[in-house]
Amino acid sequence: MKTIKIFDPALCCPTGVCGPSVDPELTRVASAIFILEKKGFPISRYNLANDPAAFVEHKEVNQVLHERGPDALPLVMLDGKVEKVGSYPSNEEFASWLGVDVKELTPEKPRNQLL
Amino acid sequence: MFQTFHPKYVVNTPYLFFTGKGGVGKTSTACATAVALADTGKKVLIVSTDPASNLQDVFDIEIGNDPVEVPSVPNLSACNIDPEESARQYREKVISPYRSALPESVVATMEEQLSGACTVEIAAFDEFSNLLTDQELISQYDHILFDTAPTGHTLRLLQLPTAWSSFLEESTHGASCLGPLSGLGEKKQMYSSTVKALSDPKMTTLILVTRPEPSSMLEAERASAELKEIGMENQVVIINGLLQKHIKEDRISKAFFDRQQSALAEMPARLKQVGMFAIPYVPFSLTGVGNLRHMFNSVTHSVEINEVELSEDRLHSLQDLVNDFAQRDMRIIFTMGKGGVGKTTIASAIAVGLAEKGIKVHLTTTDPAAHLDYAFQQKNAYNRLSISRLDPKKEVEAYKEAVLSQNKNQLNEEALAYLEEDLNSPCTEEIAVFQAFADIVEKSKDEVVVIDTAPTGHTLLLLNSAESYHKEISRSTGTVSESVQNLLPKLRNPEETSVVIVTLPEATPVLEATRLRDDLKRASIEPQWWVINQSLYAQQTTDPILQSKAEAEKVWIKKVSEEVAEKTSIVPWQPEEKLGYDKMKDLINSSFSH
Repeated sequence: MKTIKIFDPALCCPTGVCGPSVDPELTRVASAIFILEKKGFPISRYNLANDPAAFVEHKEVNQVLHERGPDALPLVMLDGKVEKVGSYPSNEEFASWLGVDVKELTPEKPRNQLL
Repeated sequence: MFQTFHPKYVVNTPYLFFTGKGGVGKTSTACATAVALADTGKKVLIVSTDPASNLQDVFDIEIGNDPVEVPSVPNLSACNIDPEESARQYREKVISPYRSALPESVVATMEEQLSGACTVEIAAFDEFSNLLTDQELISQYDHILFDTAPTGHTLRLLQLPTAWSSFLEESTHGASCLGPLSGLGEKKQMYSSTVKALSDPKMTTLILVTRPEPSSMLEAERASAELKEIGMENQVVIINGLLQKHIKEDRISKAFFDRQQSALAEMPARLKQVGMFAIPYVPFSLTGVGNLRHMFNSVTHSVEINEVELSEDRLHSLQDLVNDFAQRDMRIIFTMGKGGVGKTTIASAIAVGLAEKGIKVHLTTTDPAAHLDYAFQQKNAYNRLSISRLDPKKEVEAYKEAVLSQNKNQLNEEALAYLEEDLNSPCTEEIAVFQAFADIVEKSKDEVVVIDTAPTGHTLLLLNSAESYHKEISRSTGTVSESVQNLLPKLRNPEETSVVIVTLPEATPVLEATRLRDDLKRASIEPQWWVINQSLYAQQTTDPILQSKAEAEKVWIKKVSEEVAEKTSIVPWQPEEKLGYDKMKDLINSSFSH
């Protein structure tokens, strides 16, 4: 099973609802991770504002930060290698890395099931 | 009819909270109590939790976040919980170890994130909790007195331990929305101890300070009820500034006395259930330890009066101010100043004055404790003038609603519940209020917007957050409403926005307003007009006590009109309360009767 580590920019909260505006991208990512974690997949998330140590201890991340500055965030590591720089994984990427059906990450609301 | 307040009757707990509407004399009462206790040999610490603390003016020494001894009063120490300073220390603690390990640009984004209103509020709250739970500190004092910010702010501070405790209890995915407060989970113990200390009648007394006037009594009642709800049952009311005797033949003296008496007669029912004490009206300002020592034991304390020469031609009426704004087509007008100086009244009068000139006006308040409906009695009764109130609780609900419905279609039930949990974080309130504030300012496209702001400290936090949000927005990927993007540039444009500083002709409000002006200047906002409200000097009275108050005002009127303000408008003390549209017109035209 692949391990995913996500290095966030300095955020107030992972869903972004306490920022100046709600970023739908952040909400999507937070929900996808929430669902994957519930399924037992190993995903770690580090927020620059409250976990800066992680950005120093992971040498590769630190190096990218020195080269590209804060725009490199969010940064995604897959099995210890830098996989994405400057954007979050799409639901399709999450799904293919972990071998799950992408539908499981954005399930339709079970609305009007009986009709 | 009321027992005169003296600390010996009331003080029997280690913690004492002084709260009440701005300007009722919380700081004076708290300081005088602290001095009286220290004089009996007790070890006392006085703490201000007001972001715009006045302790340094009272004791005339520099006071910071750490307790310092007050040289003129043995046994007394003082400190300010300055939210900005607490946040700065917190930020430094988090960031400094990484200054060399991470690039400067990355550290800068951390700093920015840790400068938001959320961090500021929590950092202050953390320090406050510390004072209630740090055994080593507590053991050094017999009494710790809290001189708190005006009610709205304090309610929030006192309710936070409960809010955070229950948020932490209910949260299923840990303290995710605590952002800068990593490790808050571990503080759960501290917060529940805080709640316990606040609600233990052997530990804490809540002292509600009020003036003998309707609005401050209403607010005392509200604070009393809300704080009972979180368990602060041990409460006392102090009626500050009660005129003991008056001169029946003197119109002003009689009106002054009658207004107090009728306010007392109509005291809110629930407030009557609380034990009550009074402090007599004193014509001198309560700065300096000498004056404080007189507060509880002398009414006849004579005041030294310096001859002050005033240039009265520098004092204008409110009508002059209104004319100036109308002529320059100001779109956004703020009233700012310490609580209790009459910002709501002045904002209302300016709004009515502009409406009378045929201008479309929207009047609003961000003060959680304001009573605009009360001041106008009829809502939206006049078609050129509309009125609204920015109620934080309602704004939070609306904000949650909007965010959830925005995401309803993309997320399933579970993910929505997760999102909702983050939205229940107490820090959402700041965001919600901020957005609503931006929306109101945006109305200035179609009408003139007059905004009565919350007391100083809160307003500054709001403006500061305008600044930090503005930076954040520029790199945010979310959808940012136009109103939020436009906010700060608008506030800084002197062709569009004017700030009116409202003050009373007294030491503390003038000193505080001067600091406010300096803060505004730093935010590139330049206030031109000052309004000196409720001036007895601008009235005529033969009452010796009111007259010596009028004399004492001169030095502060001179300072404002000749030193700090570009233009000054003076409003005489009013023999009757000005309520409603027509009475506001009287107020605009009332000027000097010297």
